[in-house]
Amino acid sequence: MEGVIGFFQYFWDIREMVAVLTVRHAWMALAGVVLGTLTAVPMGILISRKPKVGVYVIDFAGMLYTIPSLALLGFLLPFLGLGWLPTITALVIYSWLPVLRNTVTGILGVDPAAKEAAKGMGATPYQLLMNVELPLALPVIMAAIRTVAVLTVGITVMGALVGARGLGELIFQGISMMDNRTILAGTIPVSIMALSFDQLLGLLERKLKVVTSSA
Amino acid sequence: MTREISVELQNVSKYYGTEKVVDEVSFSVEKGEIFVLIGPSGCGKTTTLKMINQLIPHTSGNILVNGVDVTKLDAVELRRSIGYVIQYIGLLPHLTIQENIAFVLKLTKKSKKEQNERALELVETVGLQANYLKRYPRELSGGQQQRVGVARALAANPDILLMDEPFGAVDPLTREQLQNELLRLQESIRKTIVFVTHDMQEAFKVGSRIGILRQGKLVCLGTPMEIVRSEDEFVKNFIGQGALFEVLDTIPVLRAIEKDIPIVSEKGKVDLSDEKLKGWENIFVTNDHGQCLGYISLDSLNQDGTFSAGQIEPLPAGCSPEVSVKQAVEEMLWKGKTWLPVISEDEGFKGIVLFSSCADLLAEDRR
Ligand SMILES: Nc1ncnc2c1ncn2[C@@H]1O[C@H](COP(=O)(O)OP(=O)(O)OP(=O)(O)O)[C@@H](O)[C@H]1O
Ligand SMILES: [Mg+2]
Repeated sequence: MEGVIGFFQYFWDIREMVAVLTVRHAWMALAGVVLGTLTAVPMGILISRKPKVGVYVIDFAGMLYTIPSLALLGFLLPFLGLGWLPTITALVIYSWLPVLRNTVTGILGVDPAAKEAAKGMGATPYQLLMNVELPLALPVIMAAIRTVAVLTVGITVMGALVGARGLGELIFQGISMMDNRTILAGTIPVSIMALSFDQLLGLLERKLKVVTSSA
Repeated sequence: MTREISVELQNVSKYYGTEKVVDEVSFSVEKGEIFVLIGPSGCGKTTTLKMINQLIPHTSGNILVNGVDVTKLDAVELRRSIGYVIQYIGLLPHLTIQENIAFVLKLTKKSKKEQNERALELVETVGLQANYLKRYPRELSGGQQQRVGVARALAANPDILLMDEPFGAVDPLTREQLQNELLRLQESIRKTIVFVTHDMQEAFKVGSRIGILRQGKLVCLGTPMEIVRSEDEFVKNFIGQGALFEVLDTIPVLRAIEKDIPIVSEKGKVDLSDEKLKGWENIFVTNDHGQCLGYISLDSLNQDGTFSAGQIEPLPAGCSPEVSVKQAVEEMLWKGKTWLPVISEDEGFKGIVLFSSCADLLAEDRR
């Protein structure tokens, strides 16, 4: 009990620092998800048009995905320096595989009858993509983006090692000082953030569904 | 009068690699007719149909739509101008019925208002209630989905419709109902329809002309009657027995009517020596207005051929001269009669149709 109250006291004392780090953390994670999605979805669309070539792109993304985050940050350091840039770059790279793969799976999984009906009614390739393929692949793509969002919030923690000032700073500080309170002060906001990202994206998905089905 | 041709195929072939799935097919579809393509599974029906709207490009030959070579047309525009009902219905699962029906109008950027109005109009045309408009395809039965598929093809009011087994996924009863509705609808909209099926009964029922495909070749082409008369073994086998009855649906009952039936005026008397009475059991009594009051059995006549009004037996309910032989036969089977009077709308007596002569008709046409 004592410990819990003590923790809250401590948390309250450093609240300003936690707030600043949380906001920075959230921005980096968000930037990673958004940029990752914006690059991977169009790439996925292209790959779905040429699945034979696309396999190699997905393999490549898969290879990148297996690099440990610490190692990847280390690789990027000489090129991108310290701070948020290598961190966000790493986040984007990690988001590629899930988003890419699900975009391709989602689009290729669209009922051929639906596609053919739309084409037969005179949909241009672009109209087919926007009115049929993407809306129907949306749940699969969104599932990947949600996974990536949670993953990204976690990986951003590692960014602290290359000087990206996020909540990782508290966690690593806590570890080096062997101070559980500091670790917790960093971990709890990270967990809450990951969960809220997931929920917010769930909401967005529902919104998108409404828009695509009435547009 | 020269008939206008809406769709024409000239020696059209389609290869997949070295496999020839459509082989030198030629036919022309007249404006306003229902042209049926039929054949066993895998014979190339869908491929042929899809080449017309260029969903599948043909390898050789010419395809003309309203006289224009389809390869000279913009494929997107071509497809927008032709209604298409695909084999597996293919409603868009994420769109409501309303949005599905109006889809082609959305593609051509028509106003929301116009889309909604058209959807409302069409959902009723195909016999669904307006409250279905807000539903999603998964909330409809197979038959209802097929109706939506037809409504959707009609949205842009195309002159030409391509229908690929449009009533494939429903029970026989619903299927027949949908066929009847299509025929009724066709009375008013007069579209040029290319209709694919593998059901011969359906082909005879809806088709004004039928083309039979076998392994990519058009082996037989003609009206239902001509098809029935075909000597080709494959065609004979393919038609089968059940479909013969459907052919009777294409013959107007007037062709089976008995012209020389014994008739007597209500005021006159029967000349018992008349040759015409030979082979008849009854004589029909008519009045001055060309109506039939009933019939009298020859046995019950008085010796001198006179009769009283009381001896006249009322006619059974008749059929209209507009019905087909099939409908008349069905009527007889239903009522357990061997003959039916044919009576026009103004109650005029056209004659009677005998069960036996209907059967003869088929035999004669089989010859
Ligand atoms: N993309 C393709 N590549 C290779 N062969 C194909 C392709 N599409 C169709 N075929 C072949 O072409 C032939 C004709 O196919 P099609 O779909 O036109 O048949 P169908 O008459 O419509 O059959 P069903 O009654 O089963 O619908 C079949 O043997 C099929 O295997
Ligand atoms: Mg087919």
